Amino acid sequence: MMTTPPEVGQELPELVKHPTTRQLVQYAGASGDFYEIHYDQDFARSTGLPGVILHGLLKAGFLAQLVTSWAGAQARLKAFDVSYRGLDQPGVPCRCQGVVRSIEGITAELEIWTEDPEGRRTTLGNATVELS
Amino acid sequence: MSGAVGGSTVVDRLKAKTGWKGGERVTLVEAGQVRRLCDAIGDDNPRWREEVPPTFVVALASETPDFREALDYGKGWLNGGDRFEYLEPIRVGDTITARSTLVDVYEKQGTSGGLLFLIVETEYVNQHGRTAVRLRGTRIRR
Repeated sequence: MMTTPPEVGQELPELVKHPTTRQLVQYAGASGDFYEIHYDQDFARSTGLPGVILHGLLKAGFLAQLVTSWAGAQARLKAFDVSYRGLDQPGVPCRCQGVVRSIEGITAELEIWTEDPEGRRTTLGNATVELS
Repeated sequence: MSGAVGGSTVVDRLKAKTGWKGGERVTLVEAGQVRRLCDAIGDDNPRWREEVPPTFVVALASETPDFREALDYGKGWLNGGDRFEYLEPIRVGDTITARSTLVDVYEKQGTSGGLLFLIVETEYVNQHGRTAVRLRGTRIRR
């Protein structure tokens, strides 16, 4: 959580996730998205993927956690958008990062993303937060 | 390539479905369902014991458009992106009605062939009749 008022250019504390295939099954059950590319290796490969991949919305969940844990209990998330640009596979760390791009009154605009170990940004996004 | 010819037919048939509305899905938001989603994400913020976390609504969506036509295009689905707009918090105990609409269909050429984009907007309305969340999702056949 923030201890001082945010400033433009400030980076959010990094959140590193270590997704497993088990977690993808858990997410499938909890979200209701049972598409087989997230837990069936053969099926995933039959669609041209290198193997099972993370649900885009699981990565969105990670980024929402990054933003809401930083913003604190009183903050209100007003808008949140994510674009899934690259594949993320279980067993590969998923680094969730963000930076404050602007502040106007109590509203902060954040740029957020996930990054793989090679430094490729596999998810790009933005969040609008009312800090109150 | 024959796939391209078949592909354009599929695109036309799906474009004709623009404006399609999914059935309403009404869900009572239960603490256990919220907890399971938080556990799956690994988000242990105590705030989510009463309020739902930002991506929870996807578990309440009306059925994903099950267009058989789309299955004739490419080999599989990918999620292109999601945009959430939050108007009012959703809390455990709320009753949420989800309604989805297919708002756009278009095709693009990617580096390894054609991509078919389906844009679906879902509105989540609470028991007071107020829209709590709007979601615009981009689903891709490739």
